[in-house]
Amino acid sequence: MVKSTLQSRLTSTLFVLPYLLSFCAFLLIPILYGVYISFHNFELLSDSHKFVGFDNYIKIFTPGTYLFDQFTTGLWNTMQFVLYSVPLLVVLGLALAMLLNQLPKRIRGLFRTFYFMPYAISGSVMAVIWLMMFDTNAGFLNGLLAKLHIDPVAWLTDLPWVWVSLVLTTLWWTIGFNMIIFTNALNEVPEDYYEAASIDGANAWRKFVSITLPSIRPVMLFIIITSTIASFNVYAQPFLLTRGGPGDSTKVLLMNVLDEAFKGKQVGSASAMAIMMAVIIIIISAVQYKIAYGRKE
Amino acid sequence: MKKSMKLLGTSLIALSLVAAAGCGSNNNNGGNDKGSNSQTNSGTNAAAGNSGDAKAEKADILFWTPFSGADGEFMKKIVEKYNSSQDTYKVKLVIQPNGEYYKLLDVALSAGKDRPDLAIMHVDQIPTYVNKGQLQPMDDLASAAAINKTDYVEAPVNYETIDDKWYGIPLDIHPLVMYYNKDLFKKAGITAPPTNRAEFESAVDKLTDKAKGVYGYVVPTLWPQQFIFPTLVWQNGGDLWNGTDVAYNSPEAVEMVQWMRGLVDKGVSPGNVQQDGENTLFLQGKNAIQFNGPWMKGQFDEAGINYGVAPVPQIGKAKQAVYAGSHNFVLPKGVTDANVVKGIGDFLKYVSTNSMDWAASGQALASKPMLESAEFKALDMQSNVAKSFDYVQFAPNVLNWATISDPIWGELSNALLGKKDAQKAMDDAVAKSRQAMKK
Repeated sequence: MVKSTLQSRLTSTLFVLPYLLSFCAFLLIPILYGVYISFHNFELLSDSHKFVGFDNYIKIFTPGTYLFDQFTTGLWNTMQFVLYSVPLLVVLGLALAMLLNQLPKRIRGLFRTFYFMPYAISGSVMAVIWLMMFDTNAGFLNGLLAKLHIDPVAWLTDLPWVWVSLVLTTLWWTIGFNMIIFTNALNEVPEDYYEAASIDGANAWRKFVSITLPSIRPVMLFIIITSTIASFNVYAQPFLLTRGGPGDSTKVLLMNVLDEAFKGKQVGSASAMAIMMAVIIIIISAVQYKIAYGRKE
Repeated sequence: MKKSMKLLGTSLIALSLVAAAGCGSNNNNGGNDKGSNSQTNSGTNAAAGNSGDAKAEKADILFWTPFSGADGEFMKKIVEKYNSSQDTYKVKLVIQPNGEYYKLLDVALSAGKDRPDLAIMHVDQIPTYVNKGQLQPMDDLASAAAINKTDYVEAPVNYETIDDKWYGIPLDIHPLVMYYNKDLFKKAGITAPPTNRAEFESAVDKLTDKAKGVYGYVVPTLWPQQFIFPTLVWQNGGDLWNGTDVAYNSPEAVEMVQWMRGLVDKGVSPGNVQQDGENTLFLQGKNAIQFNGPWMKGQFDEAGINYGVAPVPQIGKAKQAVYAGSHNFVLPKGVTDANVVKGIGDFLKYVSTNSMDWAASGQALASKPMLESAEFKALDMQSNVAKSFDYVQFAPNVLNWATISDPIWGELSNALLGKKDAQKAMDDAVAKSRQAMKK
């Protein structure tokens, strides 16, 4: 008896070990090092790094300082993006998955591929495509609008259209992932529930609200949290399409962190901003989790 | 007992294998020279001279460049020709992605290992790196290789001579230039590219044909304003930095912002131009004039545009001036092996008289003997570019200029898009710059 427990423990440890080691080397240690750096005056090109304790963090929260302005502008713009993009990413992801399920089996795979393909391309390719679409004077969308005798829209240089453009691009680029996860979740729901509901006279909406949604609750929460985190980490779309413009109305937090680190060469304060950003994401995820699982069934 | 001992044994072996692979951030693959991954073999090989060779004079030189665009091929040619012309020194060329170059360089310099022996650096970066003690003076290297300061265009040499020490050997100078569509010019009856404000304004008026969607000059709102705005400000007698403070909200500077916005108001340029909009229209033949850099040449050649190149006209009222960048060779501080240093001198001496391949990429060389050669003079565009070398100016020599000047571009785009009054936009930017200076 004792032998097999030791053996199974050893085996399971072995299986976890490779991932554990990679996790330590590529995630845990860099994160801890990042925290360490954030407590120092860490200039990229200088050899000495002075310990300054919480100085960088204090500067971030002191109104009037350069770091404060960079952090708050970035955070405000990022939050706007999260607010505009996450609900759509979740709802449309689910809608697409449900639409897919209505398709006959033969072409379902084809459409699944079409909707997932954008997820596989890189940010630069995404930007080239959408710059062509959103170009004010030579772009595809404004060309279409011109044919319909509608005035051209300044997709990338005017508020609120910039946000529409960024969210649209993000949806096109990343919804495939949500859709696939939701598809799997929907397939898990037992058919008999729906059959039983039909017998009881439930309509489509009723079935959706009372059977589908509760059954995919855990996956729904997963998608909400991962979409929120992904939207918080947005960089490619605003940087490549608008450079944070017009002005700095779409300059997201990650852009400012990178500027501080590599333009300003101040890795210490940049790390502090990044750590703060991570803390905020963690808090928001925790809140979302609490709301979803807070009520006891 | 036996079974679990066997299992323990295999697991320990497995563990050590995983540990060796996983923890291996130090990829010291002994003699494994994977072609493109030459940066991992760098320092150790160069420092040792050449790990197994009898002749002590031989040396490998790890050479980093940011030429990830079309120009990389041309530098490759130069390096290959050098390597085959002699067999004492071997230059290993590494091309880093242009957008990531300084990030990678900074990390390599601060980490110490994998750092290059020779690197390309833009002239306006050199003072910062010298200030942080990252570069070595090249005076000794130059004199040992018979390289003279006087053989190079003055502007970059003066910029990179700090405290009487020479920190960079110029390769090229890339100023803002004017590209124009010869076909559109012919159609509008314009025989020569404009050279001053009056000629420019009259030309763009004639070139603009709203009905056909053709514009005389499309004003960019983001890149390459980093080159255009300083050019216009300097031409108008203004300055970005007055020696102690930012000065780009002066009347002279604001006047140029208003002039650019004025082109949009007049209809010579469309409004709401997003990133690269002016270039897309130029490639479509709907934009007659563009101010951009020599690096665009390849793209225009490929697109088959019948374009001409000329110096940027003097729009401002004070003097002729143009913003430029310049690629230079620099010597990082960690390079101490005498053979490597000698090799670098030898290579740079070669480049100073054999860089026609680099000119072929569209760049104007900074070496005077090359500029005066018949071969170079035969290159129409490059010699046109070189005409402006008497009055090129580089970015202000101010520490942290990148961070201090960053607010300019967002506010400038606000002004050019008509969202803010020009003076207010520049004043707001100055306020943000001053805040960045304080930190």
